[in-house]
Amino acid sequence: MKIDIAGNPDYGQLHVTLGPGERFIAEGGSMAWMDPGIQSKARLLGGFVSALIRKFTGGESLFVGEYSTDKGGKIAFSPAQPGSVLQRTLNGDSFMLTGGSFMACTPGVELSTKFGGGRALFSGEGLFLMECSGSGDLFFNAYGSIIEKEIDGSFIVDTSHVVAWEPSLSYSIQGMGGIKSTLLSGEGLVMKFSGAGTIYLQTRTMPGLASWLTPFSV
Amino acid sequence: MQIDIHDNGAFGSALVHLDPTEEFVSEAGAMFRASDNVDIDVTTRSRSSGGIMSGIKRMIAGEHFFFSRYSVTDGQDAEIGLAPILQGQVALIECDGDARWVCAGGSYLGSAVELNIDTQFQGLRGMLSGESLSFLTVEGRGPLLVNAFGTITELEVQGGLTIDTGHVVAFEDSLDYSVGKAGGSWISSFLTSEGIVLHFSGYGRVYVQSHNPDEFGRTLGPLLPDRNS
Repeated sequence: MKIDIAGNPDYGQLHVTLGPGERFIAEGGSMAWMDPGIQSKARLLGGFVSALIRKFTGGESLFVGEYSTDKGGKIAFSPAQPGSVLQRTLNGDSFMLTGGSFMACTPGVELSTKFGGGRALFSGEGLFLMECSGSGDLFFNAYGSIIEKEIDGSFIVDTSHVVAWEPSLSYSIQGMGGIKSTLLSGEGLVMKFSGAGTIYLQTRTMPGLASWLTPFSV
Repeated sequence: MQIDIHDNGAFGSALVHLDPTEEFVSEAGAMFRASDNVDIDVTTRSRSSGGIMSGIKRMIAGEHFFFSRYSVTDGQDAEIGLAPILQGQVALIECDGDARWVCAGGSYLGSAVELNIDTQFQGLRGMLSGESLSFLTVEGRGPLLVNAFGTITELEVQGGLTIDTGHVVAFEDSLDYSVGKAGGSWISSFLTSEGIVLHFSGYGRVYVQSHNPDEFGRTLGPLLPDRNS
C-alpha cells in the first residue's frame, strides 16, 4: 500500500494505491475517483447505538466506506471542505479527534466514538469525540491549515479550532470573557489543555464561515 | 489569442489577450476586468446555433442562462480577465477540433467564439439522483477555459476509471461513460453517502477537481439559518 497526501495546505487529498487483497477505510462520501475493480462497502462506525446517536447529533457519518480490491488499484479521497490533511502513525497508542476530523485509516486502526460528556456539550464541536487506537496509519483533515502545537504545562484554545490531540493531555472546558457571552452565544468557550503532548489546531472554522455568511442570507 | 492563467493556486483567474478581430465568450458574470476597448454583449448562444431554449437548457445544466460575448471596438489589442466564483484552479484546454470536450455542471468558464457549445442531458437516472447531470459539449477548434473547486488534475483514462460526479470537470468525448453507483450495492452507496459516479471506459483525458462543491455546500448549509426565518 502506498499513500500520498497531495495538495496541502489548501486542498489536501489522499492518493492511495492498494495492492491485491489490501483494504482501506475512509469517511463515507469522500471517494473522488478510483480505478475500476475496487469494491466498496458500508461499515458501521463503532457500535450501532452510538453510531445512530452520533448521526443525529450532527457528528460524523453513520457509516464509513471500506475499499478493497483483488487486483490492486488507485483511489483518491477528498474531505468535504478545503484544507490540510495530516497523517498520524499509531503503534498501539491512541489519538483523539473531534467530530468531523476523521478522514481515513488503514484496517489496523480501531475507531471508537466517545461521548464527550457535558464538557463536549458546551464546546460547539458536537457531542462526540473519536478515539483512534491500534496500529496503522490514520488520516485527519481540517478546514484551513493545521497548526501543530507542543504543550508542556497548560494551553488555552478556542474550542472550534481544535482538530486533534494526544491523550496524554487532559482538558477542561471553560468560559473566557463574561458569563453572558459564554451562555448566550457559545462564543468565549475555550478548552484548557494540561499535561505534555501535542495538539492540532485548524486555522479556520466552518461555523465561523457560516456565521459570517448568515447576514447575507435572503 | 493568448491566454495566461494567473495565481493558479487557491484563487486562479484567466487573462485573455484579444487581437482586434478576435472575440471571446464567457460564463455570464465571470468578467472582472477588461480594457476599455472591449464591448460586452449578452447572448444565449455561443456561436450560431441556439436561442432561448439553449439558455434554458444551460440553466438546467447548472450554468448561467446567458453568455457574455466580448469583442474589440477600436482595432487595437484588448484584454479580458475572467474569474470563477468558487476558489480553486483554472485550466486551459486547447481543443484541437478532433475530440469534442464535455464540461460538467458549473465548470465552464469561457471559450473562443469559434467553439460551439451545446447542452447534453444525462437522462432520467441523473435527474433522480438529485445531482445536476447535464453537461455542456464543446465542439470545434480553439481555447476552452474551465474552473474547479480546489486543484485540477489531468488524468489519462486507459481502459477504465470511476469518478464521483462532483469531481468531474471536463472530459474528452472519445470516452464512453455510464452513470452508476460507487461500488457494492445501492444500499451500500447510500449508507456511505457516496453519490452518483461516472464509470468511464475507453481512452482519453479527464480533468478532475480535488474537491466537491456540492459536498462543501451540504456541509455549510446546515450551519446557516433557515432561509424563511
